[in-house]
Amino acid sequence: MFFYYLDLAWRSIKKTPFLSLLMVLAISIGIGITITTLNIYKMASVNPAGERSSSLFAVQLMSQDPDTWENLSKQITYQDAFNLLDSEVPVRQAAMFRTGLAVQTDDVNFSPILEGVRVTGGDFFGLFKVPFLYGGPWSKQVDKEGGYKVVINEDINNKAFGGGNNVGKTLLLNRKPYQVVGITKTWHPSPKYYDVNNGAFNDSEQIYVPFSLAPIEEFESWGNNNSWRHEDIRTYQDRLNSEMHWVHYWAELTNPAMQQEYKEWLVRYVEQQKALGRFKRPDAKGEVSDVATWLAYNKVVPEDNKVLVGLSVLFLIVCLVNMLGLLLAKFLKRAPEVGVRRAIGASRLQIFSQHLVEVGLIGFCGGALGLLWAWGALSLLSSRFDLEGSLSQLDSSMWFIAPIIAVSAAIIAGIYPAWRICSTNPSIYLKSQ
Amino acid sequence: MLSMKNINKVFKTDLVETHALRDFNLDVEEGEFVAVTGPSGSGKTTFLNIAGLLEGFTHGDFFLDGVNISNLSDNKSAAIRNEKIGFIFQGFNLIPDLNLAENVEVPLRYRGFNAKERKIRVERALEQVGLAARMKHLPTQLSGGQQQRVAIARALAGEPRFLLADEPTGNLDSLMARQVMELLEDINKAGTTIIMVTHDAELARRAQRNIQIVDGQVCDFTMYQGEQGSVAQGQSVADVAAAEVVTVASSVA
Ligand SMILES: Nc1ncnc2c1ncn2[C@@H]1O[C@H](COP(=O)(O)OP(=O)(O)OP(=O)(O)O)[C@@H](O)[C@H]1O
Ligand SMILES: [Mg+2]
Repeated sequence: MFFYYLDLAWRSIKKTPFLSLLMVLAISIGIGITITTLNIYKMASVNPAGERSSSLFAVQLMSQDPDTWENLSKQITYQDAFNLLDSEVPVRQAAMFRTGLAVQTDDVNFSPILEGVRVTGGDFFGLFKVPFLYGGPWSKQVDKEGGYKVVINEDINNKAFGGGNNVGKTLLLNRKPYQVVGITKTWHPSPKYYDVNNGAFNDSEQIYVPFSLAPIEEFESWGNNNSWRHEDIRTYQDRLNSEMHWVHYWAELTNPAMQQEYKEWLVRYVEQQKALGRFKRPDAKGEVSDVATWLAYNKVVPEDNKVLVGLSVLFLIVCLVNMLGLLLAKFLKRAPEVGVRRAIGASRLQIFSQHLVEVGLIGFCGGALGLLWAWGALSLLSSRFDLEGSLSQLDSSMWFIAPIIAVSAAIIAGIYPAWRICSTNPSIYLKSQ
Repeated sequence: MLSMKNINKVFKTDLVETHALRDFNLDVEEGEFVAVTGPSGSGKTTFLNIAGLLEGFTHGDFFLDGVNISNLSDNKSAAIRNEKIGFIFQGFNLIPDLNLAENVEVPLRYRGFNAKERKIRVERALEQVGLAARMKHLPTQLSGGQQQRVAIARALAGEPRFLLADEPTGNLDSLMARQVMELLEDINKAGTTIIMVTHDAELARRAQRNIQIVDGQVCDFTMYQGEQGSVAQGQSVADVAAAEVVTVASSVA
């Protein structure tokens, strides 16, 4: 019966091409806008760590005094980061913050550029699976004792050296020579989950230097610094010894047992700090969050996006109300034919289904066209308004979501017209002919 | 086959209540050919619509083939219409977008026959009305008489036991009307019960039995004749022998 209804639907659409086109357009515009915003929403809430999401953990510490903040800070102090690095539980772990350095080469013709730089440990690359073109991370030795080593990505490699394997060459950062140990492929996880403070959808840094160099080189922090009490910070050493929260910390804990062990380790660490008189609050604690929890905690999917999706759904509803009117007119014009069908044995349900199939078909066409609009809108947004890169790609799931939304929305709009036509008394229309 | 006892049908509109049928009584036996006549607005179409389960009634008892029709679900009555009843209308009521074969096929679709069975039945029905050669034509490409024959084919395709025709020849000239009438007679001879509403006294006379509806009631035509004093020409030559004794209305207005 379904194919019979489909055949009838197709004939009906062909019979009133203009009206049908109008309905397809109405629904496609609604779907186009909905899919566009939904796509942005979805891409913004995608979990960039993939299957590693559940073994990568952001580490937080409730280190502030009572009667200050009640929340866990997103970052920790330098002293805590320094101490946490002592734990032998995690497979990998890294403290990190963002800074900026002037980049130069031996080439006198190369004019210096100021670049965002990530100050972190050698484990960073393994933690986040940063792909290398040449070389690799610096050694554990460098992490312990400090060392002028640098990892750059291929863009900087192209700018500074004109591409190729330049492992071993020297790059000047703030006029200090650093030896290039690794060159990574361009790598932009989105959202940039390892540091959501500095624009979750911005590109990641292109240069990495060892965290162990921080006390020596006194790298400025280009990220957020949060103090819960007033401290007189004059020197870099003051900063390192302060209670200010400004360092991100990540640990890789591959199984539940390891996660449990690490949590216990943190409990002991907190107790130890309490004993030292540093953590004063009774509920001082450590907390670990996997990537998904971390993104949710940081509200990486902005509320505006939800509002936008809501608005576009409202718009879709307006389109559907329009469509409802058009459908009603179209269906009621067909009442005499329906009267005949009823007289010769079609039940109400069969008439109802026939019309819903027609509506569904219109919805399906609208969905397909809407997908095209969405694709166009995203391309336009990314070219005109510099929409952040990854957000402007049409996610493959939309290929299914668009027709499903379109067909169900159309059917919702079609229920009333279909019900009207199937519940009219057929005898009235039989007489009048 | 069909038995109506004290059927009443009242149409209520905002302003008026119309008593279209009042205490309507009628029995039709299997295999009969009944012609129904009566003045305009007397309730003939209303009776036919109720008989064909297209319309409900206000009160009374109605049995069709032994089934009590009073409280049937829509699905059940649709199924009965589909299997047991064939409809023929004055206005043919073919579906203009469908060709002849597709039109005839409609009731078979709802019956759930497979493609092969449908094809056989469509061909047979169109052959019966002499239009097998024009299967792919659209209704508008046919004359009125041909269209009505297609409508008959559509009614026949499901092999109904019961054919209801509302002025099937009303829109046709006398030659075409006669052809259609002959077709109906053949169908009746093959065993199908037919109830036909007509204004054409000559055609009515050819039926096995005549009944007349006046003011929503079945009326003995002799009595009608007596009270009204004058009778339309056709009615006076109605075949009295063939006409069964019908319930005499006690209060003809
Ligand atoms: N749907 C309706 N709503 C209100 N009144 C109706 C309706 N259908 C029929 N009637 C009324 O019921 C009465 C009987 O109508 P019906 O159509 O049965 O007459 P008829 O005998 O078929 O007439 P004709 O020979 O002109 O076709 C008429 O008075 C008509 O106005
Ligand atoms: Mg009538």
